[in-house]
This record gives sequence, structure tokens and C-alpha cells, in this order.
Amino acid sequence: MSMKRREFLKTTAGGAAALTVLRGKAWGQVKPVKIGYTLSGTGPYSVGAGITQGPNYTLWQEQVNAKGGLLVKGEGRRPVEFISIDDRSEHETAVRFYEKLMTDDKVDLILPPWGTAMNFAVAAVANKYGYPMLGPTAVSNKLKELSLPYFYALLAQPDPIMEAFVGLLKDLKAQGKISKIGLAYVNDLFGIELYNSATPHLKQAGLDVVDTKSYPLGAKDLSPILKGFKAAGADVFLGLTYPPDNILATTQAKEVDWNPAVFLTAVGTAFPFYRDRFKGADGVMGIAGWNPKVKIAGAREYFDAHVKKHQKEPDRWASAFAYASLQILERCVGEVGLDRKKIKEMLDSTEFQTVGGPIKFVKGMNVSTPGMVGQWQKGEFEILWPKSRATGTPVVPKPAWA
Amino acid sequence: MNPTLLVDIVVGGLITGGIYALVALGLNLQYGLMRVLNVAHGEFLMMGAYLTYSLHTAWGVNPLLTLLVTGPASFGAGLVLHRLLYARVLAAGEAPEALESRSLLLSFGLLFVLQNAALLIWSADLKGYSYLSIPFRFLGSVFPANRLVAAGVALAVSVAFYVFLKRSFTGKAIRALMQDPEGAQLAGINLSRVHGLCFGIGIAMSAVTGSLISMLFELTPFIGLPYTVTALVVVILGGLGNVVGSLLGGLILGLVETASVYLATSDIRLIASYGVLSLILILKPSGLFGR
Repeated sequence: MSMKRREFLKTTAGGAAALTVLRGKAWGQVKPVKIGYTLSGTGPYSVGAGITQGPNYTLWQEQVNAKGGLLVKGEGRRPVEFISIDDRSEHETAVRFYEKLMTDDKVDLILPPWGTAMNFAVAAVANKYGYPMLGPTAVSNKLKELSLPYFYALLAQPDPIMEAFVGLLKDLKAQGKISKIGLAYVNDLFGIELYNSATPHLKQAGLDVVDTKSYPLGAKDLSPILKGFKAAGADVFLGLTYPPDNILATTQAKEVDWNPAVFLTAVGTAFPFYRDRFKGADGVMGIAGWNPKVKIAGAREYFDAHVKKHQKEPDRWASAFAYASLQILERCVGEVGLDRKKIKEMLDSTEFQTVGGPIKFVKGMNVSTPGMVGQWQKGEFEILWPKSRATGTPVVPKPAWA
Repeated sequence: MNPTLLVDIVVGGLITGGIYALVALGLNLQYGLMRVLNVAHGEFLMMGAYLTYSLHTAWGVNPLLTLLVTGPASFGAGLVLHRLLYARVLAAGEAPEALESRSLLLSFGLLFVLQNAALLIWSADLKGYSYLSIPFRFLGSVFPANRLVAAGVALAVSVAFYVFLKRSFTGKAIRALMQDPEGAQLAGINLSRVHGLCFGIGIAMSAVTGSLISMLFELTPFIGLPYTVTALVVVILGGLGNVVGSLLGGLILGLVETASVYLATSDIRLIASYGVLSLILILKPSGLFGR
């Protein structure tokens, strides 16, 4: 710590701004801004938490503290201190710890846990104690129905996601590139919601679904479903999947010798891990939200900083939004201080510029970011749809499995 | 029924069942013989899987050849664990219930230690590799080649163990202890030694299954527990301490699950397997092949 302080003083000694910050106080004496959260370090949620949220939290903290701390309105810069535990993917553990953070530790701000179900569980507590909570990994139509004024969702929700999926498929059908869809979904809140959103859109677009199958979370063999779709002559695999079964479906499609023109899966496809696991995964499509090629100020810098700090790339869906949620908090605290009511007012009324693009909340939902579809093409997850956000054009039929 | 569907169900069922049989056999050796309900059984499977993953990805060792490492290494680990931990709590002459509850606590501890060790070494990220991930055409249907190989090896190991039990002197000692612990000891069989041996073999079977599974699924430090549960179902289905029971029980469970998936939907897989278990427990509480 003392080493850091010396380095800090050395590097900022010449800066007038820094001198103002430190006037009368040494760095170590400034009361830190306490931010609390839980993330799953163990259990089924740990995979997603360790890819999408954890690395962005620590990256942001490092960057902010390197600048001299978080700028708090009227107080100057204060270092950011995290208080966190592993919630072991258990909802009760997370809820209990958040309650402790807010009542016992009296943290200034909280960051959300990972995943839709976890956010559901914790949002109620955050609401009770009036802590704004910006969830970058919560996707559910039900969020709108619940009255949780302190909860904010950054990602496009099931409905807009399915709108994008179907928009692209309809366009491909009009070009005569596809005709029949085989639809599989994971029998879990997330999969069911996506499925319920998909059905009306598919019907409206006049797309022909030849077979629909569900499977349980943690399924160990999807080959019966894939063989069925193949036999029914489907040329689109529409998989409303979760990470482990997403990978299983991809592996097994190749193993049962099925290479449909469009292979479109949901969660996890945008992970760099997926690309590396399948030798580029060329042609596979999935839910997208971001890539380093988007024309957004700071996007490339964010990508490079993430790779430099963690030696791994951010994912191409929610990572940038996890970082964006921190940028939003940073701006709020800089402009209104740590009064959480005022932060909420600002969240409700401001459009924020982030590495994920402009974000504006209406009733807690980010209305600026549409649902998007991406496709792995030569190592990058190109955004295909909607066209206004596209960084590439669809390659259909997809190339043979690598 | 169309013939391709029948092939799909039978071959698919044997593939799943072969793997269930091997992992259940290991658990049965521990539970059936020693009354050690090793809830960390699946964690050894997870460890075996990671070991194969590391050997394959770091040095390019053929996953099947890694069985020659994971098998003996886990057998050794089993012997040491038995000597250091289980032999102490399993003091002879106590009621089986006391042994069961103590060994259960010990195994729970082991489960957490192993999971967290794996977490430290390999992190929680999904890990996996492709091996023989190619289609294999067979009687008008198509199967993943790696699953066929994995199931084949699992069945071969199970049958080899069965022959070992039937033919070898040590095998006879194990069977004698299963049938009548006191009588066997009177005949001069060293209980603690055979227990250690069985514990080691049981764990080796779990780890070898893990090595095979690493060819098929993505790994996380938490993949073990569902296999422990499945193994327990198979052991109860086939009969406690019955080796043939575990083997056939595993295959039956695999067939039932696969048939339910093909004929109905994936969602009823668990309902079907627990349904069969309940039915057997009602009709024959000691298990299909239990005495």
C-alpha cells in the first residue's frame, strides 16, 4: 500500500488537480467509497460471473483508483474499496449478504450479482433499502411487471432479442436462403421466456417451425433433438440455450453430421471461450450486444484495457454493459454525490454515453439498446442485426464445422 | 416402431448406461462393502476429468492413454485417503449406522476440499476439448464416435473387474467380505487391507469414468455431484453390494432414460429414471439383484 502511495504521489505531484485533491490530506487518510457486492465464485453461476462481471468490476476499480479515486461531488476524489464475497450461486446467501452490506457495513453503493435469478432475488432487498442497482446480466420480461423502482436493466430483454432473431430470419427467408426452423429451448425461466417471446414473432413473420422441443437444464445428450430436426429437414437450428447445453448442442450437431444453413444459439455463444473451443466457430450465430468494432467512443480502449489487465477478451454481449453500468454510476456520483435518492433521479432522467453506446432508462429498462444477433466470422463476433448496428453481413449457409 | 428409432434407443441407451455402470460400480464397492457412503465419489470423477483435460491440452496426450495415468494415480490416492482418514473412523466392531454417518461427514468434507482445490487449479471457467468428435454411421443411424468409444471402454473396464472378482484370489476375498464380513475374517481375510484396496479401486473407477467423460462434456469443478446421485440410484436399483446388479442397473437406467427422451421428451428423463427406481423399490426393496 505504501509503495502505491509513493508511486501515486510521484506520478501526480505535478498535476494541479491532484494537488487540490490532496490538499491537507494524505491519500491514505481519505475515507474510501465503499461498494459492496456478491459474485458467484463457486457453483453453476461462477462461469458467467467470472466472464462477464468480475473482470469488469476489478478493471474499473483499478482505473478509477489510478486516477486518484472516484470523483464525489463536493468532496473530490476518494479511493474505491470493494467489499465482496462468493455467494456460492445461492440466492439466500446473496440476499443475506446484501442485507448485511446495506444495514451493517453501510456501504455507499452496491453492484449487482450475476444472472437473472440472482438479480431477481437481490433487487427486492436493494429496493427496500433504496440502493440503485444496475444489472448487466438480467434478462426477463417479468422485470417490467415487478415494481422495483431502484432496479435498472441494461441488456435488451427477451422480447427485443426475439424481435432481432426473427427479423434476421425473415430477411434470410425472403432471400430464399432458409425455409424450415427447428426450435429447441432450455426448460428454465430464461428459456421459457425466450420461447414465449419467440412464438408470436415467428408466427407473425410467417416462418415455418417444423419441430419444437424443450430439454431440462443440465441435459447430457441433445443428439435425439438434433437428429429429429435433421430428419424433419430443418435448415435453421434456433436454440434458446444456456452455456453448458449451448456447447453440447454445437458439439453434437457436428457429431450427428448436421450442418444447417443457420445455427443460431442464445447464451454463451458470444463468449470468446466458445469461439476458441470450436476452432473459430465460423458461421455460428447468437445473441450479441457489442464488439470492439462498434463505432462507439471508448469501445476499443475498453477492449484493450480488459485484455491487458485480465489476459482475456471481454465477451461480445454483456461484458461491455457491465463496464457501462460502472461508467454510469461514476458519472452520477461525480454529478450528484453519494445521495442515493439523487442518483436514482439522475438515472431516471439522463441519457448516458458508455462503451456500450448511449443508454437511457425508462421505468428501469434500457430503451436505447436494441436486441442484436451476431455471427462468428474469422475470429470476431460480427453484429448482423438490426442493420443500424451491423458490423458485418450474414454468411449463410454457414461454413462446414471446423 | 421404425428400425432406426430402435437402433437409436438401444445404442443410445447402452452408451449412457455403460458410463453409469462404471461410476456406480465404484460407489457400490465402497458402499456395499464398507458402508462408506462416499458423497465425494463424483468429485474424483471430476478430478479424473480435469487430469485428462490437462494432460491432453498441455502435452497432447491421447485422452484414452491418460487412463493409464488417472487410473493408477487415483487408485494410489484412494489407498492413501483410506489409510489416513477412513481407516480411523471405520473402527471395527461398531454398528453399521455409526460407520455410515461418520463416513458421510468425512466424505462431505472431502467433497468441499476437492471442489475448491479444482477451483484454485482450473478456475470456474468451462473447460473442454474435442476428441473423436465425428459422426459414426451404424445400422442406418448416426452416433458420436467419442461416445461409442467412451461407453465401450467403460463397459470393458466393468467386465474386466467382474472377471477379476470371479477369478482372482483377491476378488474372492472381496466377495467373501461382501457376503459375510465376520465369517470372512474368521477365515483369515484382512478386513482393513481389503477395504483399502476396494476404496482405491472404487475411486479409480470414478476417475477413469471422469477421463472418459472429459471427451464428451465441458468441465467445471461442480460436475461431480450429479454423477454421485446417479450412481446412488443405480446402486439401489441393482442391489447393495451386487456387482452384476450395478452393471445391469446402469444399463437399464441408460435405456429407460434414452427411451423416454426419444419417445416422449427430454424433460421427463428424470421422472422416468426415478419412476423406475420407485417401482423397483416397491416391488423388490432390496434392489433388482439384491438378496
